[in-house]
Amino acid sequence: MTTEPQEAPTFFAAEKNPIRKIESAVLLLFRLCTWSILIAAAAVFLTILIKGLPIIISSQFPFINTDFLTQSPETLHVFEHKGISYELADSDFRAFQEKTGKTIPSATYAHSGGGLFPAIIGTLLLVIGSMFIALVFGVLSAIYLSEYSKPGKLIDFIRLSILNLAGVPSIVFGLFGFGLFVIGLNWNVSLLSGWFTLAFMVLPIIITASEESLKSVPQGFREGSLALGGSKWKTIRRVVLPYALPGILTSSILGVARVAGETAPIMFTAAYAVRDSLPWEIERWSDFLSKVSWPCPTTFTSLVPKFLKTNTPNVCSMEQHWCCWSSCSRLLLFPCCYADIFARETLGNPLQTYNYGLK
Amino acid sequence: MESNSNKESSIKDILSPSPKFWGIRTEQWIKVFFFGNAWMSILILFLIAVFLFREGASFFSLRNGSHQLYRRAGLEFVEEFKLTQEHFTSIYRYLNEVRTNQINILREKGMSFQEAQEKCVEIEDYAYSFYDLSVRLGELTSELSDFVTTFRDQFLSNENLRDYQQTLVEAGKVEEAEAVQIDPVDFELIRTLLIEQREVYNETTTALVEDISSFRKTFPELPSGETQTIHSRFIQETDAFIASIPEHAKRLQEWDPDKPIGWSSSFTSFLFGRNWVTNSFWQDWYGFLPLLTGSLLVSAIALTIAIPVGVFAAIYVNQVAPSREQKIVKPCIEFISAVPSVVLGFFGIAVLSELLKTISGWPGLDWLPFFPITERLNAFTAGCLLALMAIPTIFTLAEDALDMVPRAHIEASYSMGATRLQTIIHIVLPSALSGIISAILLGFGRVIGETMVVLLCAGNRIIIPDISEGLGVMVEPVHTMTGIIAQEMGEVERGSIHYRALFVLGMFLFVISLTINGIAQRIVKRVKTTNL
Amino acid sequence: MTDPNPNRPIPETAVEVSSIDFYYGKTKALDDITLDIPKNQITSLIGPSGCGKTTFIRCLNRMNDLIEGAQLTRGTIRISGVDIYDKRVDVIELRKKVGMVFQKSNPFPMSIYENIAYGLRMQSIRKKTIIDEAVERSLRNAALWNEVKDRLHSNALGLSGGQQQRLCIARALAIEPTIMLMDEPCSALDPIATARVEELLFNLKENYTIVIVTHSMQQAARLSDHTAFFYLGKLEEFGDTSKLFMNPGNPQTEAYISGRFG
Repeated sequence: MTTEPQEAPTFFAAEKNPIRKIESAVLLLFRLCTWSILIAAAAVFLTILIKGLPIIISSQFPFINTDFLTQSPETLHVFEHKGISYELADSDFRAFQEKTGKTIPSATYAHSGGGLFPAIIGTLLLVIGSMFIALVFGVLSAIYLSEYSKPGKLIDFIRLSILNLAGVPSIVFGLFGFGLFVIGLNWNVSLLSGWFTLAFMVLPIIITASEESLKSVPQGFREGSLALGGSKWKTIRRVVLPYALPGILTSSILGVARVAGETAPIMFTAAYAVRDSLPWEIERWSDFLSKVSWPCPTTFTSLVPKFLKTNTPNVCSMEQHWCCWSSCSRLLLFPCCYADIFARETLGNPLQTYNYGLK
Repeated sequence: MESNSNKESSIKDILSPSPKFWGIRTEQWIKVFFFGNAWMSILILFLIAVFLFREGASFFSLRNGSHQLYRRAGLEFVEEFKLTQEHFTSIYRYLNEVRTNQINILREKGMSFQEAQEKCVEIEDYAYSFYDLSVRLGELTSELSDFVTTFRDQFLSNENLRDYQQTLVEAGKVEEAEAVQIDPVDFELIRTLLIEQREVYNETTTALVEDISSFRKTFPELPSGETQTIHSRFIQETDAFIASIPEHAKRLQEWDPDKPIGWSSSFTSFLFGRNWVTNSFWQDWYGFLPLLTGSLLVSAIALTIAIPVGVFAAIYVNQVAPSREQKIVKPCIEFISAVPSVVLGFFGIAVLSELLKTISGWPGLDWLPFFPITERLNAFTAGCLLALMAIPTIFTLAEDALDMVPRAHIEASYSMGATRLQTIIHIVLPSALSGIISAILLGFGRVIGETMVVLLCAGNRIIIPDISEGLGVMVEPVHTMTGIIAQEMGEVERGSIHYRALFVLGMFLFVISLTINGIAQRIVKRVKTTNL
Repeated sequence: MTDPNPNRPIPETAVEVSSIDFYYGKTKALDDITLDIPKNQITSLIGPSGCGKTTFIRCLNRMNDLIEGAQLTRGTIRISGVDIYDKRVDVIELRKKVGMVFQKSNPFPMSIYENIAYGLRMQSIRKKTIIDEAVERSLRNAALWNEVKDRLHSNALGLSGGQQQRLCIARALAIEPTIMLMDEPCSALDPIATARVEELLFNLKENYTIVIVTHSMQQAARLSDHTAFFYLGKLEEFGDTSKLFMNPGNPQTEAYISGRFG
């Protein structure tokens, strides 16, 4: 109590010292970092979009290159005839040859012509199957974790293993799926193996998202049901689950994004580079599950080894590759991003909890 | 009255229990059912460990067997010859490099290619003559190589025949089994023959050393000057060569085909082996180091970019940005994590690598030591893309950690007249630090486990990155643990050593990722308990 | 806007509030408040919950700026003749001169010494002797010195509730503000700690202008020289404490004081 307070302030002017300038510079730096991330991401996205769009869109009705989406991959022939250079898919090439009545020499590029149809089918099949399996197991686990469990060491251990499972690299899943399903259970490289491998990979996401969804059901619902004499299971079945189900399904779209986009797990368990028949063009029913598989656009297992061998892809295959990739990535990215944002809005970002329980 | 008795009997119903199945109520069964499901994740982790181990464990014994054969069949012996030969050849290559450099220097001075070549004829001849010195050694080496590999291959085919015999016997076709011809390999013969070669080696190398000593006294005049420096370098190199010969000779002396391979040797040779060579005519080597260092290099590049950018962005979005900007920026960055990795890989191989190579060719950037880049696909390209993948992870988790700092502290700081940056540095960051570290660790885990991007963009050369280049090590092509599994798994024969080696790699990856996760969890847990 | 005569005698009013309206988004929180807070005296703000007292006090050091959508739409607040919402005013400097103590004590997770040194370090004061002296001075002013002088470097979170609040007061005093704003500083404290803090405030008013929000009318009556009664965002009455409590002019004030609502 000995000092005098300062003279009453006359003016709250900012001190023009260099520290303030440094601070603004630093904050500006932070801002630049943020925006540079966005710009980089936009660059990637737009490049693929712009380069690939011309091939997907055609100038006539229905404005989409349906051939591209509905045909199988074929060999691409590049040649010159009467001074004009052509790039034709195999079937078109043969028709052209018949028309002109000559055999024309051409440079051929495997898998660079035709369309992507089988690959699209393959992806769809894999996604549907694996999501189904993952949802079944995941929702059941989530129900236990949120409805039945009591806090304790055991639950901590289970949660820990869920988080650890989420961090396992995808290629390790591929090896595991190969070891267990393809070899161990003798399922061979097939849809089934792929389904289960992908399902196990995406399980942590589903569990976490489902748990969030279940937690958001108001406690009052459960209590009301129990007070009316319902058993716990009946409460879950009739009250909690129906309320939580939409949320579970929306947030599992994040899982779809992951499943559709992953290559490594299916490289050895489900994907063939070349297969001439579509899943339903088989002789016996049992073959459907055990022998059928297809490369998926994202994996493009046929293209990956090609990239590795031909270090400088030539122009034609580049174009085809561009359009393939762009179409696939756009087919994927759009639903993914939409689902992402949508899921976030409805569930308040389950990703946060997915991201290793910091909350 | 009636209703009363009804009520009484209905209340008594409370006392009668619900139906039991095998002594346990339905509700209990249901609970057990769910509990079983909850164990899925633990079960899966366990299964992963089991099956990786199952396929990979026999690697070590198989590898030991292969190394044993390498020793018994004499390849280990002949290896010394080969190494000597290779060392010599590397000096020859050096001389060739000198010649090429000379030509380049002359051309820079304005000479045409023709003229420059003519000027360098002397050094060219000198190099050829130098190489000729080793002809005897070369012949010897290739003879011996053929010799031992023939034996080795015969041994292996004998093994196959024995297996075939076995299957015949089991199938009951005993006569056919006996009809199978197996000529056993005479290892004694190998041993005796090779031991004689020790002397031959010593003689040949002594002669070679003499030749080199006299040869290197004369050195042609180099058209560009610098003769003195290059001559002394040449002498240095040859000195090193000469010094290495006694070591090779010593190992030849110590070679004992029957010496057993220590059981731990396959483990150590895997962990510390510097070569990963497969499908070779000579001998396959499975060493972890080139792949580990490749992974680490790519991760280091990725994290160097991703950590500052990610953390700064998290600070900006959480502490500085107005809420409108927050609402736009945050989902956008998080959306990046939904991009499939193959798409990024494709972008890298098709666009980014070309772009980087072009930028590195710009004359204004000459001063950077490793520009222009020679290899289009290298660790740096992969690193950049991996950074783009790691940033959303680091950003999201760091932002969560920053969010958890109690608002009361932040307000107290502001109320005392601290500026925004001061509050961030002194109050917010220390509080959120462990969360941020956890975020970084998990970003690291993501990056090291990524497959497709590195497979497509990192250049796929299996070699330990050469750190002597300094920062230039960034633009070397490398291979990673994940990439090699993806690449070679498709080509490998089921059950072979190579196949099992890949599974061992998978085991290591699994353990590494569990460790990183575990540490990150620990850090978060410790914070949670201290902040209670 | 430099003061042409920096040596003029110190004005009697520390803060002049003229006809301010304050909004949180679309909700009006303060309605036409006019108030002159006298210098070197204790002014207390009383009134039922949610009536704008905390909002008002946070306007005085512009802590409301931290809340999205909060804005002063009308009127001015002048401290020493300067409109603190003027664009040229640096809010950081303002907060160095107008200190605040919060309802729930919020010592930083650092040592006692570091807590108090924080404000000084933010002003780039680095000399140990100066900081040491400031720490001792503030702790003495806050009547905490004797209790903690032997453990200055132990963690502040180890102090009791009352000690933590006094630490927060010391921390705010260390940067030598002229005005101290206190938002229900004793609400989380037991009676003994409350008594200590009240005694402290009484001693402080010699050198500081103190504005205190309080839920307890008895505390207002004990402590303050002037009292303002807030009700539903409006200033119902303001005046000398004893007069307000004995003879309130406004019927609302009278009803509140006699406990007919609140």
